[in-house]
Amino acid sequence: MSDRSHNRLTRPETLTAVGIILIAAGFLVPTTDLRSISALLPAAMLIGLIVLALVLLVMDQRKAARAEAPVQMTQAPKRVAGAFLLILGYALACDFIGFYVSTAVTIPLVAFAFGYRNPLGLLVATGIVVGSIWLIFDFGMSQSFPAGRLWKD
Amino acid sequence: MLTIFKKAAIAGVMTLAAGAALAEGYPEKPIEVIVGYSAGGGTDVMARTTMPFIEKYLGNGASLVVKNVPGASGQIGITEVANAAPDGYTLGTFNLPGMMARTLDREAGYDRDSFTYLANVVNDPNVIVSSKDSGINTMDDLIAAAKENPLAITVGMSSLGGDDHFLLIKLQKMTETEFTIVPFKGSAPARTAVMGGHVAVGIFNVSEVAKFAGELNILGVAQPERSEFAPDAPTFREQGLDLINGSLRGVVAPAGLPDDIAAKLRDAFEKAAQDPEFVKAMADTANPVAVVTGQEFRELTDSLYDLAKEAWETTPWN
Amino acid sequence: MYADLLHALPDVFAWTNFAAVVIGVIAGIVVGAMPGLSATMAISVLVPFTFGLEPLVALGLMAGIYNGAMYGGAIPAVLLRIPGTPAAVATTFDGYPMAQKGEGGFALQVAVVSSSIGGIASAFALMLLAPPLSKVTLLFGPSEVFWVAVFGLASIIFLLGGNPIKGLISACFGVFVSVIGSDPIYGNDRYTFGQLEMLDGIHIVILLVGLYALPPVIDLLETPLKTGVNSSNLGTEPIWKAIPRMKGYWKTWLRGSFIGIWIGILPGAGGSMAAFMSYNEARRASKNPETWGEGEPEGVAAAETANNADTASALIPALTLGIPGTAVAAVMLGGLLVHGLQPGPMLFRDNPDVVFGFMWQFLFGAILLVLLGGSLATNSFARLLNLPRPLLGSVIIVLMLIGVYSIHGRMFDVYLMLGFGAVGWVMDKLKFPLPPVVLGLILGGFAEENLRLALRIGRGDPLVLLQNTTSLVLVALTVAVIIGPTIKQRLAASRKPA
Repeated sequence: MSDRSHNRLTRPETLTAVGIILIAAGFLVPTTDLRSISALLPAAMLIGLIVLALVLLVMDQRKAARAEAPVQMTQAPKRVAGAFLLILGYALACDFIGFYVSTAVTIPLVAFAFGYRNPLGLLVATGIVVGSIWLIFDFGMSQSFPAGRLWKD
Repeated sequence: MLTIFKKAAIAGVMTLAAGAALAEGYPEKPIEVIVGYSAGGGTDVMARTTMPFIEKYLGNGASLVVKNVPGASGQIGITEVANAAPDGYTLGTFNLPGMMARTLDREAGYDRDSFTYLANVVNDPNVIVSSKDSGINTMDDLIAAAKENPLAITVGMSSLGGDDHFLLIKLQKMTETEFTIVPFKGSAPARTAVMGGHVAVGIFNVSEVAKFAGELNILGVAQPERSEFAPDAPTFREQGLDLINGSLRGVVAPAGLPDDIAAKLRDAFEKAAQDPEFVKAMADTANPVAVVTGQEFRELTDSLYDLAKEAWETTPWN
Repeated sequence: MYADLLHALPDVFAWTNFAAVVIGVIAGIVVGAMPGLSATMAISVLVPFTFGLEPLVALGLMAGIYNGAMYGGAIPAVLLRIPGTPAAVATTFDGYPMAQKGEGGFALQVAVVSSSIGGIASAFALMLLAPPLSKVTLLFGPSEVFWVAVFGLASIIFLLGGNPIKGLISACFGVFVSVIGSDPIYGNDRYTFGQLEMLDGIHIVILLVGLYALPPVIDLLETPLKTGVNSSNLGTEPIWKAIPRMKGYWKTWLRGSFIGIWIGILPGAGGSMAAFMSYNEARRASKNPETWGEGEPEGVAAAETANNADTASALIPALTLGIPGTAVAAVMLGGLLVHGLQPGPMLFRDNPDVVFGFMWQFLFGAILLVLLGGSLATNSFARLLNLPRPLLGSVIIVLMLIGVYSIHGRMFDVYLMLGFGAVGWVMDKLKFPLPPVVLGLILGGFAEENLRLALRIGRGDPLVLLQNTTSLVLVALTVAVIIGPTIKQRLAASRKPA
């Protein structure tokens, strides 16, 4: 029994609907500081989101009552989480360590971690990508990328 | 941490060594000019057109590099300038009255005293325009219509809290009239609305309407003499209204710039102002030149700050 | 003025000027084809460089990039379901299903031919009809523009997908994102949490890259495969063999060109709205609408014609009135100002050779698109998909970062993009449709701004919104779009039993 009710609440659609309701309600708070004409459209959208998410929640719970299987988000949660973390890590590394270094490390790292392990291929691909970015953006267009906050000042 | 150290070091150098020694070799490396708008905007074009002439008059093989830091109507860029080291290698463009008005209507990361005032380069006076078939051909027509039916006249402009808004506030006070303000996003849509007859009149800068002489009536120009951009348009003074107002674009450095470096830069701006090639290049890119340097520039900023402050306190716009 | 047009022609063929168009088109295709990089970004990076160039070299580059990128965006849209540019969102609807069926090559050929046709039609509109069309733009004041935006928003109902509740949630989300930033009238902050970086609102490219590019990248990494995406089964054949298969599309091309040109001359909305509308109209006119969304080549043709047909026409209000019809045209205006070309009616009199030369460059850019984009570019890009999935994924991650960072040169936008990416991944898995988010973001704030301007003009009286013919026509059109299909169904249903 408890297992079943637990399942009902962790269905992805139910969780999403609850998430939408909470976030939209949170955004409604600062809306009260705005003058009414400024608040009209955002408030309408937030209330719309809350109402629609409630409908979604009811629909999904009815499906649960009929014992329909929930939507499956992923078959490999670890790989998905790993991919997200690697991307976030890459962005942070660019910000703090610098774009070129981080990129030169990330391309082979991501490819290696997710199953492409040919050393020559990794080397060539990294070289081509980083080289052409430098050539086009830095050398050609003098566009600068983050140099790394750690080394600044 | 290190910025503080740097600033302290520079201050130390300033007190120890005679200032002149610093300026002698200046500039030794490229000077960064921070523009708070995207490449191709009015202020960016002003900066990019001006910088080659400053390089020329600074000598020493000077190189000025424009860096665009767009966002929040120039706020992000000018805040970066205010926080930079005052070593002469970071300058920034400065727009009036906008930069001062933003210290009033929102929390700003800088104030009047955050800068060393180098030179104002452009002074683009305000104009009031109507479309050719609006029936409003002179300031007298406009004021009479506004008096007859308060708030019935719609005025298009580029935003609230900008130079065009301040001109209207001055005009309303001076003539005891009331208009309905319609703040578009930028002057081009506002100008189109005037041409299409969607608003009765519009307030712009003279450079923004000079190329539309066939479509728009310029009712008045807000500077003491007629503008070379619209020589046929009368000034407000000619029509008995003492209205002087405009949009200014200049160059500042962070506060605490060594005097001799500041003097060297100001000198370069003054020399550029005399260069006919510079004046022509600026006119081609819709920038009416009016170079004012140093203390005079600071006083100009103060007076515009006071104007904005008064306007903000009497008729806040947000 | 037609004499001026001919007078400008020889200059266009000066080799540097012509080479600029060729290079521009190639660069545009490449930029458009890279997920994350967009035409707006490419041209804004280019603008500072054009200071040192001859006007027609600079403008030729821009015209070429614009044309090239509008097609280039279709390449990843078809092959990876990642629209390379905002305007290519509608191309994914049928392009990607075609690629899955092994017809990716044909989808790209339809895209390049349609893009080229749209671009040519648009260039002709710019060359021959700029002055009269700019008069049309003048008819559109705030209340009329508000109704245009409402019309566009109404078309969201065709993009809701299988579950209307989810579709509406997507639309509300998009419109809500559009109000973030400074209030359009008063300038005070809305949901910026004190961040200056948020004051100008969320740039469409940040949202687009997050929602559309990140989920497929995660998918690429999720499945532990070492092979490419759809290796060699693109099904490419020489373009001269492919063109005869497209002869039935001329109505779609015509309609798409018309819609694209029309949306282009209206300020603000731009390529993605043109593509959505063209797609919807073409589907409604189709004899077999049920095949749409399952890999109907005509859907690709409709979207790609329209998103190229607004390129040159967006310059009509930009050149004559100074108001750009699309975001790309806005950046190009900056590029014109750099060369002392100030928009306005006098531009055509003061600098006829440059302005008309620029128009010719648009035309040649559109024609060159078939030659340059036809087989060479398409094939080489398709080959990229043979890269092992993990490698392809990691390269796209780098491109996403570059594209988003380059918009304003700040990491803040990259973090925002990752946030939208996480949202996009959940939406993708739970089958929330993404197009309503894009349209909501583009049109929501735009509708609000113009509604509030119109109300100020009317001093608060809502009747101002219905006081002229243009507005009434737009209202009638919107109503027809919303209830038209229902009436059609009813009629069909009532006829059957009889």
